[in-house]
Amino acid sequence: MKEAPRWKRASGWVDLRGRREGGLAFLLMRLTGIGLVIYLFIHLYVLRLLAQGPEAWDAFIAMAKSPLFLALDGLLILGILYHALNGVRVTLLGLGIGVPHQARLFWGVMALTLLVTAIAAYAIFTIAG
Amino acid sequence: MPTWQLRLLRGRPGGSPRLEIYRVELPAEAYLIDAVEKIWAEQDRSLLFRHACHHASCGACGVRVNGRERLMCITPLREFSPDRPIQVEPLRHFPWLGDLLVDVSPMMRRMAEVGFAIVRQDELTADRPLPEGIERITRFEDCIECGLCLSACPVMAADEAYLGPATLAAIERMLKEPRGGDTARLLTLADDPHGAWRCHSAMECTAVCPSNVDPASAIGRLRRRLIAERFRRWIGGGR
Amino acid sequence: MSYHVIVIGAGSTGAAVAHDLALRGFRVTVVERGEVASGTSGRNHCLLHSGGRYAMRDPESARECIEENMILRRIMPEALELNDGLFVALDEQDLAWKERFLAACEECGIPAREIPVRQALALEPHLNPNILAAVQVPDGVFEPFRFCLSFLATARRNGATVLTYTEVVDFVFQGRTVAGVRVRDRRTGEERVIGGDIVVNAAGPWSGRIAAMAGVDVPVVPTAGVMISVGRRWNRMVINRLNMPGDGDIIVPQRRTAIIGTTSWRVEDPDFIPIPEDHVRLLLDRAERFIPGYTRGGIRGIFAVARPLVGRRGVAADGRELSRTFECFDHAADGVEGFVTITGGKMTTARAMAEKAVDVVCAKLGLEIPCRTREVPLLSYRAFFD
Ligand SMILES: Cc1cc2nc3c(=O)[nH]c(=O)nc-3n(C[C@H](O)[C@H](O)[C@H](O)COP(=O)(O)OP(=O)(O)OC[C@H]3O[C@@H](n4cnc5c(N)ncnc54)[C@H](O)[C@@H]3O)c2cc1C
Ligand code: HEM
Ligand code: SF4
Ligand code: FES
Repeated sequence: MKEAPRWKRASGWVDLRGRREGGLAFLLMRLTGIGLVIYLFIHLYVLRLLAQGPEAWDAFIAMAKSPLFLALDGLLILGILYHALNGVRVTLLGLGIGVPHQARLFWGVMALTLLVTAIAAYAIFTIAG
Repeated sequence: MPTWQLRLLRGRPGGSPRLEIYRVELPAEAYLIDAVEKIWAEQDRSLLFRHACHHASCGACGVRVNGRERLMCITPLREFSPDRPIQVEPLRHFPWLGDLLVDVSPMMRRMAEVGFAIVRQDELTADRPLPEGIERITRFEDCIECGLCLSACPVMAADEAYLGPATLAAIERMLKEPRGGDTARLLTLADDPHGAWRCHSAMECTAVCPSNVDPASAIGRLRRRLIAERFRRWIGGGR
Repeated sequence: MSYHVIVIGAGSTGAAVAHDLALRGFRVTVVERGEVASGTSGRNHCLLHSGGRYAMRDPESARECIEENMILRRIMPEALELNDGLFVALDEQDLAWKERFLAACEECGIPAREIPVRQALALEPHLNPNILAAVQVPDGVFEPFRFCLSFLATARRNGATVLTYTEVVDFVFQGRTVAGVRVRDRRTGEERVIGGDIVVNAAGPWSGRIAAMAGVDVPVVPTAGVMISVGRRWNRMVINRLNMPGDGDIIVPQRRTAIIGTTSWRVEDPDFIPIPEDHVRLLLDRAERFIPGYTRGGIRGIFAVARPLVGRRGVAADGRELSRTFECFDHAADGVEGFVTITGGKMTTARAMAEKAVDVVCAKLGLEIPCRTREVPLLSYRAFFD
């Protein structure tokens, strides 16, 4: 008998139906990981402006101070924090440490991520704004 | 007696599957397998599903209930409300044969490579000496080879060659209690990009396992053992 | 020789028959309407009988059991937990049976020995501390699905074909001789005819229905029983009540569970058996007498299934009185050639049932091929999926 079409299986990891904390944590980890790689390239692209002299850079910095851009910075911090903190969780779990507490660890990671992001966002908007 | 609504995935390979509602009257003390068997007995003889033991021992009746992997035989109807349909779908990550039926042979073949089934210790004796009057203890391994963990694992979705939680847990059990097995071969089997290292710690295997196997922890212990072996090779040269 | 034998049913009986046939060199096709062991065989109490349970009332069954018990230990170790069993006296009435029980076991060749109550309680710490006597016997526990799969895996290795989800809907005749069966594939809905030289009916409690399709009568009485599995393995050994077999008198441990059983009542349709609530209460009540606090680990599953007891005319309907031994019918006696029914018995005696049935098949065909299933070890159940 035939199996389900391949594209369905390759994307199966996105399917959150029936999944709990662990599955959600994995999905977010992968999405933030991919997001960070994309960000890295954007970041390198932006740094190229430095080679084009102070005007180009200053124009970019002016734009970077717009509220929309600052909000994106907040998002970036959110992603980095989640990825890094959950990275520690996953490293431990992957070695069989703390498996019975994995769900609580996940919520801990989430809480810490949100808390630090909130502080950072406050700092960004008060300093930049 | 309450009337339950079941929304079963129906269809055959080659066609497109659809969800169909069935109504079945059963007491709240009954189990999901009773409802499915009753639908088969009284409403639709073409319904495909697997079952044998009805007490979580044979591992045949794994499905997804409202998205989550469960054994039908120990899923009590009283968990649900008669007003809302209970959705039952086949396990993921196995070849689909139709309706709720999947082909478990890919998993069985992998388990056969590990080759464990019977334990020689049990929780009543643990590590203490056997009481007088008993020569030995034998007990089935906890793993009932139901495949719930494979269906729940997001890595399984992307990598068909992944050994899977049940098999990795079995390897770890064998290493702990080798029963004459070839431990070097088992370590090689696990020490593979599609083996212990493929796991992404989504922890879903342990969360759905109906039989206390805790594959996620087993995979962790297996990795520690593999890392230790590697260190030993670097330092001492050879196993 | 290339006689083709069709076996109806892939329960323990059909599986063992297929194995025996294949070993003796027949071409074999097993036809099963559901999954392997989806009938009575999958869902029973899982007791590998020592025969102790039948020693007093049904010595013939008891002898069969102990003999087969010892054979299965040799040929299918992967499907068995071997931790013995205890017959315990819960009250004075039970105690009064003790001497007769020991004598009956001796008579049937069952190695039974009384052990001091204190030792029994040391072995089984959760057992009711007020027991008055304990006798140890070589009971065991099997995993019923694996039990059937092992036989079928070996049969397959020896050339047999196993068709699951394939239902027999009719017989094909040539005159008064069965020439095959008409089957319906549950997956495709398609019907086709499978031709065979002999058809063996191993459909357990459904064997009466199958026989009726061929126009003959088999006196099989589907007699249901309820079992309850709990969330904790309380006992290491099988715990039986030292008395005549009755309702709720045995707790079988398996893996991480313990199963109390069973009851007995006659059912018309074994396809779906509603569970009588009073049976559940009775069983839980009885379990409490063996193991106080039995349900403290939670109830895990409640299930019922029907035995294929072979009826005798004029016997009480509840089934406890019927012998647990088996019967092989050559329907030539009913005027239908090429058709054999093997039914009754126990899971424990499946191999012996198969030997008998295949002996009958051989005799019908004028063949003399010795049975080898006593010696040949079975493959692992997993080999079924190769
Ligand atoms: C409550 C209870 C507890 C028991 N406990 C024990 C125990 O502890 N130990 C023990 O040794 N024995 C026990 N037994 C007895 C034992 O379970 C049975 O004797 C044995 O399983 C019968 O096996 P079978 O293969 O003859 O029947 P089944 O297992 O019922 O096999 C018959 C098969 O035929 C199939 N079938 C039916 N109709 C068709 C058709 N038209 N086409 C194709 N296939 C068909 C069915 O699907 C079924 O799989 C118990 C029985 C009961 C009821
Ligand atoms: C302190 C910083 C970081 C830590 C602790 C960390 C940790 C981890 C860990 C443990 C994993 C494995 C997760 C798994 O097994 O599923 C992982 C995956 C990944 N990380 Fe990071 N990481 C960090 C920073 C980054 C950065 C800066 C990037 C991007 C440039 C990045 C991109 C990725 C990607 C793409 C994956 C793969 C995700 C997957 O396959 O599911 N990470 N990270
Ligand atoms: S590990 Fe658990 S979930 Fe996986 S097959 Fe074994 S019993 Fe089933
Ligand atoms: S029927 Fe055996 S595990 Fe559910």
